Amino acid sequence: MSGKEVVTLQFGHYSNFVGAHLWNLNDLSFDYSSNQPSKINHDVLYREGLTNDGHTTFTPRALLVDLKGSLKYLSKDGSLYSERPAPEKVDIHWDKSRIEIKKDFEQSGSKFIQEIEKGNGNKVLNKKQNLEQTVNVWSDFLYTRYHPRTVNIINEYKHEDVNKEFDVYPLGVNLWNNSEFSEEFSDKIRNYIEECDNFQGFHVILDAVDAFSGLSTSCIEHVRDEYEKKSVMAIPLIPSYYKDYNITSTDQNYKSITKDSVRVLNIALCFNDLAENASIFVPLCTGLTGWRQPGESIPFNNLHYDSRLWYHSSAILASAIDTFTLKHRLRSYNFSLNDLCADLSSFGRRAVASSLCLPFSFNKDATLLECLDNWDGPLSKSITPNCKIGSNRMMQYWFLRGIAENRLKHSQNQQNLPAFKCNTVQEMLTYYMACTTYASANNVTVVDKALTVKTPYPDIFNAHVGIDGNIIADMRPEDSVVQSVPVLAGLHSGSEIGNMLESLHTEVSKIRFPRFHRFRESGLETDAYKECLQKLFDLRECYEDNYN
Amino acid sequence: MAAISLLNPKAEVARAAQALAVNISAAKGIQDVMKSNLGPKGTVKMLVSGAGDIKITKDGNVLLHEMQIQHPTASLIARASTAQDDITGDGTTSTVLLIGELLKQADIYVSEGVHPRIITEGFDMARQKVLQILDKIKIPIIINKENLTDIARTSLRTKVHPILADILTDVCVDAILAIRQEDKPVDLHMIELMEMQHKTASDTQLVKGLVLDHGARHPDMPKQVKNAYILTCNVSMEYEKSEVNSGFFYKTAEEREKLVSAEREFIDQRVKKVIALKKKLCDGTDKSFVVINQKGIDPFSLDMLAKEGILALRRAKRRNMERLALACGGVAMNHLDDLHESHLGFAGLVYEHVLGENKFTFVEQCKNPHSVTILMKGPNKHTLAQIKDAVRDGLRAINNAVEDKALIPGAGAFEITTYKELMEYKDEVKGKARLGIAAYAEALLIIPKVLAVNSGYDAQDTIVKLQEESRVNPEPIGLDLTSGEPINPKDAGIFDNYVVKKQIINSCSVIASNLLLVDEIMRAGMSSLKG
Repeated sequence: MSGKEVVTLQFGHYSNFVGAHLWNLNDLSFDYSSNQPSKINHDVLYREGLTNDGHTTFTPRALLVDLKGSLKYLSKDGSLYSERPAPEKVDIHWDKSRIEIKKDFEQSGSKFIQEIEKGNGNKVLNKKQNLEQTVNVWSDFLYTRYHPRTVNIINEYKHEDVNKEFDVYPLGVNLWNNSEFSEEFSDKIRNYIEECDNFQGFHVILDAVDAFSGLSTSCIEHVRDEYEKKSVMAIPLIPSYYKDYNITSTDQNYKSITKDSVRVLNIALCFNDLAENASIFVPLCTGLTGWRQPGESIPFNNLHYDSRLWYHSSAILASAIDTFTLKHRLRSYNFSLNDLCADLSSFGRRAVASSLCLPFSFNKDATLLECLDNWDGPLSKSITPNCKIGSNRMMQYWFLRGIAENRLKHSQNQQNLPAFKCNTVQEMLTYYMACTTYASANNVTVVDKALTVKTPYPDIFNAHVGIDGNIIADMRPEDSVVQSVPVLAGLHSGSEIGNMLESLHTEVSKIRFPRFHRFRESGLETDAYKECLQKLFDLRECYEDNYN
Repeated sequence: MAAISLLNPKAEVARAAQALAVNISAAKGIQDVMKSNLGPKGTVKMLVSGAGDIKITKDGNVLLHEMQIQHPTASLIARASTAQDDITGDGTTSTVLLIGELLKQADIYVSEGVHPRIITEGFDMARQKVLQILDKIKIPIIINKENLTDIARTSLRTKVHPILADILTDVCVDAILAIRQEDKPVDLHMIELMEMQHKTASDTQLVKGLVLDHGARHPDMPKQVKNAYILTCNVSMEYEKSEVNSGFFYKTAEEREKLVSAEREFIDQRVKKVIALKKKLCDGTDKSFVVINQKGIDPFSLDMLAKEGILALRRAKRRNMERLALACGGVAMNHLDDLHESHLGFAGLVYEHVLGENKFTFVEQCKNPHSVTILMKGPNKHTLAQIKDAVRDGLRAINNAVEDKALIPGAGAFEITTYKELMEYKDEVKGKARLGIAAYAEALLIIPKVLAVNSGYDAQDTIVKLQEESRVNPEPIGLDLTSGEPINPKDAGIFDNYVVKKQIINSCSVIASNLLLVDEIMRAGMSSLKG
């Protein structure tokens, strides 16, 4: 059977940052020169299309939602399918003296985008770009070109509008229930699925902290209704930084605290819905504590990034998402998203944690055996906020990419190590996991292709990461860009996730809900809110191990 | 000192006259923006976004949605106007103009020392009187093509170019007449609006049947069939792994294969039922068979159906299930047990049209379709968007007329007549409330005034002319926009919807009164220490 198609939905500005990185990573990893088909089946996430004048296109099978004014230079319909007519040339059948033209301030793309549009792609992509200064919105570093169907704009609310904010959960729910938007959007989902022969399910990347939480969960409810047996893997995101953390006065401090409370409420309402309607959900954040203040950024070895920049933190999350969705995107396995969700969500444990090791530190001349033997501490760092990943009674999936089979072991000096008997990377990692965890089920997926991190991926690797992603003793040349890196990511289900939910529950319980009248004004009753808290608490109980 | 300033020293407060001034200037501001759109000679606005996306519109409601309104008073007026559109589908520009004008007129009296409360009392009396006049002036109609064409044309000519407006008028009227069933309210959802980026706007047409935005997904399926039985169903014909069958605990591949094939068999049975019915009904005749499924159909099932020459479509819109049943007859099936001929619909012609990567399937020549499709065509997105907005409004206008069973003479005739009668009524009223009635009457004239100005005539000249004519002529008198002379709108076939006018009168009076009575405006943010 051909394809194992997945539709990706992105809700919210931060999600679109992550999405933009995700598609960039994929687009740049396409290998046009090789005769061998890639192990990763790109038809899972992408679709082949045809423009009206007969050109073939290959675009993400994705739909994204953002607010008005968030696109900057990017046209809603994209330029792939039709050239946009110049406003002067548009023929309006009307009395010439009775036409008014109202032009907004013309937006131009960042220098990087302009170079790409000029067709200097190869030149720009292999050079350091320092996009940090120029990136304001996600379209500023978007290399992928979207299908005209992909971009959806909510006209009712404006991006970063302080007068009419799209900030509380029920606003999103109302938008889905009352406007044409949902009809058009669900029609677009249907259009994508109609094309698919063997549709697996959805990846839904969503902002959990604002009204997009309500919009996306309403949408998930709709797709569960309409496409019953299809899996939904939801990835609620918590941004690492907000503009209101830049505090200069006490007044701003109050405001920031209030906003944080609103965000925590949204997260709680969102998780509650996801537990009900998604097959699994994997909360992600690059901050350690997540809820009220995302907190200190998670330290990764050989990586230095500024978590205040969405451009940086979203790149890390995108790398994780691209890696932990690998297994059901491979050509060789008869493994689907459905299987993944079924394994990870037993006993109603729909919340799943994720961990990441980026880059998977691997010395230039080392072997995997050596590397694992000398490894200190856990292999990966949790990127699910407020969640430590245990080693006891876990159900986990591991995904390792970028370690070639010929770097498994040396024949000399290593015979006495027990892992020497392993003959593949997969075997060895499985063996390692079996030794380091207790009463756990570990499933390991290995792909030899590393993660492509060419520009526009931010240059966040320190000087010891070589161009090919291996750790080198001396420095990488100043102006070179890391091309690809090995990555390890994991999905975990275990009792620790219960603690995460409990910490969220504790945090929300501290908030006096009636003070946040915006929730009530937009239609969320106090009773419904209390019920939601209760359900969140119940979900936590699913994670208790009581069978001894 | 307002109490709020004790509690929150940062709150901004505007009081009494100042508050009124804020409201009136906001109302004037939004009025100025919208003024030039009114009527068939209004301006077309082309909005170009920062990224170069184009939107062309003349519709007040569309404009209000596109504009980012910051001022709270203006956004209140805009919301009233949007509500007007939600309820009636027309009259948005008039709403904005009238609210602005009511405030302007009231301001003249208020600045002379009349208390706003007295003006609002006058407004309320005037409103009730106007509603009476409205009922008196309305023209009962029978629902036929001619009457509906008049109202649709009047509405559409204020949205798009006259030539296109006339085409759309025919399309919309025919659509409503086709789906209308005696003594039942019309369900506008039963008119599918389908866009095709293709050809020109004037190729927009009515299809007496359905157009679906997808096609067959199997190369061997027929591209065109005649005399087709149509089976609409909501039954999955694709193999989906069940939850039990997944998981990496699974031991042997054979065991798994066995389960898979057993489940596969289950789906095959369903497909075979369809094929059996097809064989029974069509084999040996010139009839053919079409399956339109709301659920998925996987390649195996498609293959089985294709071998039998059945045209099968998967993942149809939920709403199309209902539409199909109305267009071709039959019922939408939720299971395939006891399938019978009476469950099926019938269409004379079903064919596929391919445009780039988009496929369209036309289900036509239905016997007595109660669901139809308006197929909108245009060379680019902004034209299609413009047509879509216009068609929606046109359909709403016709539907309003069908529900009201009455029309109001257009071209400003209603306003001129009402002015005359209100001025007479004013004299019967004692006390200062009559000032409010006078202000109300003056305000109504804004509609014919702006119509005149937009057509290039002098506002005062025109009003005087119309009033003179109205004095001698008992019939309602409106303005002929091509000559600037008075006409009888009935003769010219210019009509407005009763419900639209009624809604305008009601909502504008209320909003304007509320704004007039505002004597304090506060702006205070919430700032508290802890959540």
